[in-house]
Amino acid sequence: MTPVLEIAGLDKRFGGIVVADGIDLTLNPGRVVGLIGPNGAGKTSLFNLISGVFPSDAGTIRLDGQRLDGLAMHRRASLGLARTWQNLRLFPSLSVLDNLMVGPRRYLGDRLLRLALDPAGVRAQEAGTRRRAEEVLERTRLSGVAATPAADLTFGQQKLVGVARALMNDARCLLLDEPMAGVEGQAYEIMQQVVREVAEGGVAVCVVEHNVAFIRDLCDEGVFMFAGKVLARGPVADLIADPRLTELYFGT
Amino acid sequence: MDYLITLAIMIGLSVALASSFNLIIGYAGLVSIAHPVFYAIGAYVSALLARDLGLPVPLAMLCGALAAAAASAAVALPSLRVSGDYLLIASIGFQLGVLEAIKNVSVTGGAGGLTNIPAFLVQDGGKGAYAALVIAFAALTVWLNWRIAHGPYGRALSAMRDDETAFAGLGRNAVAMKVAVFAFGSGIAGLAGALYAHYFRFVTPEQFEILQSAALLTMVVVGGVRTTWGPVLGAVLLQALPQAITFVDLPPAILGPLQGLLFTGLVLVFMVLRPQGLIAAGEAWQPAKKYSAKTRGEA
Ligand SMILES: Nc1ncnc2c1ncn2[C@@H]1O[C@H](COP(=O)(O)OP(=O)(O)OP(=O)(O)O)[C@@H](O)[C@H]1O
Ligand SMILES: [Mg+2]
Repeated sequence: MTPVLEIAGLDKRFGGIVVADGIDLTLNPGRVVGLIGPNGAGKTSLFNLISGVFPSDAGTIRLDGQRLDGLAMHRRASLGLARTWQNLRLFPSLSVLDNLMVGPRRYLGDRLLRLALDPAGVRAQEAGTRRRAEEVLERTRLSGVAATPAADLTFGQQKLVGVARALMNDARCLLLDEPMAGVEGQAYEIMQQVVREVAEGGVAVCVVEHNVAFIRDLCDEGVFMFAGKVLARGPVADLIADPRLTELYFGT
Repeated sequence: MDYLITLAIMIGLSVALASSFNLIIGYAGLVSIAHPVFYAIGAYVSALLARDLGLPVPLAMLCGALAAAAASAAVALPSLRVSGDYLLIASIGFQLGVLEAIKNVSVTGGAGGLTNIPAFLVQDGGKGAYAALVIAFAALTVWLNWRIAHGPYGRALSAMRDDETAFAGLGRNAVAMKVAVFAFGSGIAGLAGALYAHYFRFVTPEQFEILQSAALLTMVVVGGVRTTWGPVLGAVLLQALPQAITFVDLPPAILGPLQGLLFTGLVLVFMVLRPQGLIAAGEAWQPAKKYSAKTRGEA
């Protein structure tokens, strides 16, 4: 199986803080990898390095063989990398539907010249994007709140909007940063089902999560991070059972 | 009659300037007050091309607008690449630098101003036609801005203002969009400058100073930033009111300061009583009908 995402020797430090220390990681199509580790382990930072929020100091990141490192954030996304954010980062001035409408990999409407010279083409693309957005809303059970401002939803629904927006990319690789934090009840079930369906579609998924049950039920594999290093990789049950890792996770 | 035509032209140009400025500082959220310098570039480039190189005036005007757009992109691209905060400094520096250059170069007529600018349409009673042209231009500007703000581009700008990191994370190129909006708005200002130059046939650098920046900012803010009609209203009011009191028969020594007082007073009153401007923008982005989410509704 050729990996979708391949990370080798990734380093990053902020002054004295090492957030990534020689990280090697591969993500394979159709597989869900759970990224676990204590607070401050560098999980979010790893997502930030992959998606290009800040540049890495050393190492390579490849998506389908193509180098991502060095590219601007928007270029990485347009190559098929999608992510969500630990702190949501929805667009509060937009409706739920419009939050999704900003998300497709190709968006002709952000070019003034294109709008002037090919309005019909832009409109056709908008219509397609809209159909796709309605489909995604259906899958995430958000159709009923499509016209609601994103800021007016319950927290669980907002989390779902964050994932739904990322799904608009039709990504090859999807990074989810704590999708379950603060989510319970129906949203929990929906989230689990959606992530599973996405992986079944051949996407490489990586989930950061503190909710152990969610990780255990959903992930094919776990990766344990501590102090910017990947310490272990294997079946989630094995990682949870490892007393050394449990100690690092809960502190001494 | 001539007086009213001139007033209509001034109002039309102000509307175009305020509306395009609103696109930049309002919808795109770009912090720059250097709009008048692009107005100046349009005026000077068009005037000089027509006067010294004999270009037909409409073509010279187009070149003026393109020069303003190109200059604005050249200012915006490097500063926006670093960070949004640099644009304010870079653009003010550019404004001061260009005006200083105009004052000290002989080809532009120096501080005394550029004279003998070729007229356009104005001969033999064409002033009314010129006013119609300017008003059509202003209306087109307002319409274009409305189209941009409430279509897919406006949606993207709204998202970008909300959260630029998340926006880039979806694959949208924020810097490219900002530069494009800045260049487009500045191009409109350039065309307005060209229209000014070939009507009045005389321009001086002091017309494009920071004071002008303040006046434009006031029009947009008093009228209502990030609305279609706010800048229009602001431009009409702030352009017409100072003119209106000239009808009252007062000696010039009092009239000048009175206009200044009225202007400043208006701003102060608004800051206290209606900070959102005459027309208030809603928090939420409003799509044009064909892009609206409501058509499918709460089924
Ligand atoms: N931009 C930054 N500048 C400086 N330090 C940073 C930056 N981003 C992250 N860090 C530091 O890197 C370390 C790792 O943070 P990170 O957010 O990646 O942890 P995490 O594993 O996601 O933790 P949590 O489970 O709490 O979300 C922390 O010590 C954090 O303070
Ligand atoms: Mg984190």
